[in-house]
Amino acid sequence: MTLAPDAARSTGASRSVRPRSWLGWAISTDHKRIGLLTMGTAVVLLFLMGILALLMRSQLAQPEQQVFSPDLYNQLFSIHGSGMIYMVMTPFAIGLGVYLVPLQVGAPAIAMPRTTLFGYWLYALGAVLMLTGFAMPTGAHADGWFSYPPMASSVYTPGNGTPLWIVGVFAATVGSLGMGWAVLWTALRKRARGMTMLRLPIFTWSMIASTLMVIGAFPSLLAALTLLAIGRVEPSVFDSNVWNIGYQHLFWFYGHPVVYVMFFPYLGAVGEVLAVFSRRRFFGYKGTVISLLVFAALSMSVWGHHMFATGQATNDYYSLTSIALLVPAGIEYFALVGTVLGGQLVFTTPMLFALAFIPQFLIGGLSGIMVGTPVIDYHVTDSYFVVAHLHYVLFAGSAFGLFAAVYFWWPKVTGFLLDERLGRVHFVLLVIGTNLTFLPMFWLGQFGMPRRVATYPEWAGFGALNLVSSIGAAFLAAGMIAFAMNIQVSFRRRPKAPADPWQGHSLEWATASPPPRYNFTPHLPLPPITSNAPLLDARTRQGQGRA
Amino acid sequence: MEQRRIFEQVFTTESAIAAFVFLVVLCALAYSLIRRRARAGATPSPHAERQRLETVYVVVLVGIAAFLVVYTASANDREHPGGESHAAGRGVEAAHPVTVDVTAFQWCWKFSHPAPGPSRAGEATTTANCRDGRLPTLVVPTGRTVRLKITSQDVIHSLWVPALRYKMDAFPDHTNSFTLKIDKEGKWIGRCAEFCGNRHHSMDFWLKAVSPDEYEEWVQQHQGAAPTPEAST
Repeated sequence: MTLAPDAARSTGASRSVRPRSWLGWAISTDHKRIGLLTMGTAVVLLFLMGILALLMRSQLAQPEQQVFSPDLYNQLFSIHGSGMIYMVMTPFAIGLGVYLVPLQVGAPAIAMPRTTLFGYWLYALGAVLMLTGFAMPTGAHADGWFSYPPMASSVYTPGNGTPLWIVGVFAATVGSLGMGWAVLWTALRKRARGMTMLRLPIFTWSMIASTLMVIGAFPSLLAALTLLAIGRVEPSVFDSNVWNIGYQHLFWFYGHPVVYVMFFPYLGAVGEVLAVFSRRRFFGYKGTVISLLVFAALSMSVWGHHMFATGQATNDYYSLTSIALLVPAGIEYFALVGTVLGGQLVFTTPMLFALAFIPQFLIGGLSGIMVGTPVIDYHVTDSYFVVAHLHYVLFAGSAFGLFAAVYFWWPKVTGFLLDERLGRVHFVLLVIGTNLTFLPMFWLGQFGMPRRVATYPEWAGFGALNLVSSIGAAFLAAGMIAFAMNIQVSFRRRPKAPADPWQGHSLEWATASPPPRYNFTPHLPLPPITSNAPLLDARTRQGQGRA
Repeated sequence: MEQRRIFEQVFTTESAIAAFVFLVVLCALAYSLIRRRARAGATPSPHAERQRLETVYVVVLVGIAAFLVVYTASANDREHPGGESHAAGRGVEAAHPVTVDVTAFQWCWKFSHPAPGPSRAGEATTTANCRDGRLPTLVVPTGRTVRLKITSQDVIHSLWVPALRYKMDAFPDHTNSFTLKIDKEGKWIGRCAEFCGNRHHSMDFWLKAVSPDEYEEWVQQHQGAAPTPEAST
């Protein structure tokens, strides 16, 4: 077993570093600590990026408002978007995998623990570097999360914000790549005896599909960033259209798969939550596994649908591959809805978030087919319609999956329970806030409001819908305060969580809360792995034994 | 306003399909929330899979996808008969469209209407600075095919006329073009849709359609003249 030498090394280290000290956290190669550091950092940044969004919504609440200068507004939307995508949704998804995948496959540790730890620190460094831009005299990066040249070249965006952004995003992406490799390798090579590929929990499968995309697509972002860095030094590169359009191809070759990296793990989490609180086996497991892999493969071929309006992409091809995505997406919905339809539903907070994920993400998905249709996309691209679409996918969808995951695994991870009542308050405020904020944006886009505008004239008639949207943002803020309070209350009161508070299905619920250093011990042994829901099998067997 | 017609048609179809799918999922959820509650005494289904049902469902999904691909590709083909890169216009007048050269710059627009004939001496140009409501106007004749050739002087911009339901990016070192044909006289707002810096939000213009006679007159008036007075910054 690999456990022995690893354990020996760690006891060696603990002689000089107390495991519970901050240094013990910072240099631990325990996948649970690295996962928690990653998710903790991402949640802190989630609050911060939310504050940036609130500032934007306050400026847009009324026409012709100048709470912030256009330059500062541009920094706000750029860091909000970059932060949410590069520093929150992607790292949290991968961090969740770092924490859970070794447990779910019955492994004592993650593959490549030092690479994983290094990956976390690269990510943390990247986030800090990107945010440091706000301390620069010219301000933070202000060209949006995709930073097209020549706008992002040193000619049109001088100053240090953009170089810091480039280095920060590069570092965080290399970090995500390292962590992604480790998660994939753990799922493929560190499985316990009896844990066949078709007995992996659906969350672990979602991580396999995600990390395959990480490995396939993220290097392309590194290439795009390198091109941008070269252009910062030698701006004449971007005098040529080849490099401008080339950047867009490199960027979106990363930029579309990453959307699914920010979606699959949350879908996987939602799948587990739905199955557990429907008190049944996840429905349509095999179909979902195949569809995740097909989805991941297809996702590598759709990037040009972000470029229809460039006049330099082949519409028919990218439209075909994009619309084809509805097949695997439809299969996944078949599984989610099917699980609920045949269930015995228990409405805990994680279940509420998982249930709301289904219709809300669907709005994002269905509007996604529209923006993948060239004749529609020409009108709605770069408008608020796209802003609405992407927030339904990433916030109404993925972030709800994120909260479902937080509420679901919190007791396992911390050993404490979260408060159900505050959880419900958080949920209700978030559902109201999400739909009030993002639904009006579909109409704003239709009516002609471009995205990334610092303000809009009164005669444009965008005032009323923007006001509704900003009021919705206030609900979101209130909901997030309830979430913060819930965390704080849980840490203060420390209500003890049992090993398996929810009657879970997968292996992590068989060990203690929080799990010991090597996950399973002679006192907390692995249960027999009989299917993708071994604990459910055990309960069924027990029930039959009694009967 | 071919683009608008095609947009409305395809958007309506896809919205109807989307609404139907959304309703089906919503009904399934509503049913589960009411009838499958633990408190309502539901017992969990023992089926982990319904492979035959799922196979039929996948066939239906593939059918829907195939329909959408063919339907939207044919709409795209009607909108861009010559291929996207030099978009639209193998129509009747495609050989002699009214051409307007559009130049986007930080942060406004310049519209040049080349005079008929080989010499460009007589071109009529309008521009402005897009400050304090001083917006340039793109004048086009009604009922005729107009080809816009779009480029940029600096960064990437995007010419969007929401009323037309169409936009096209303006790249430096590259010219995009598309054709439009406006049936009725009127005036519509146009905007820059690609983020281009600090005054991106106010980079607007007017699209004005006038009768062909009025258009001829307008071109003659503005021929050779310096860009219209409001351009002086």
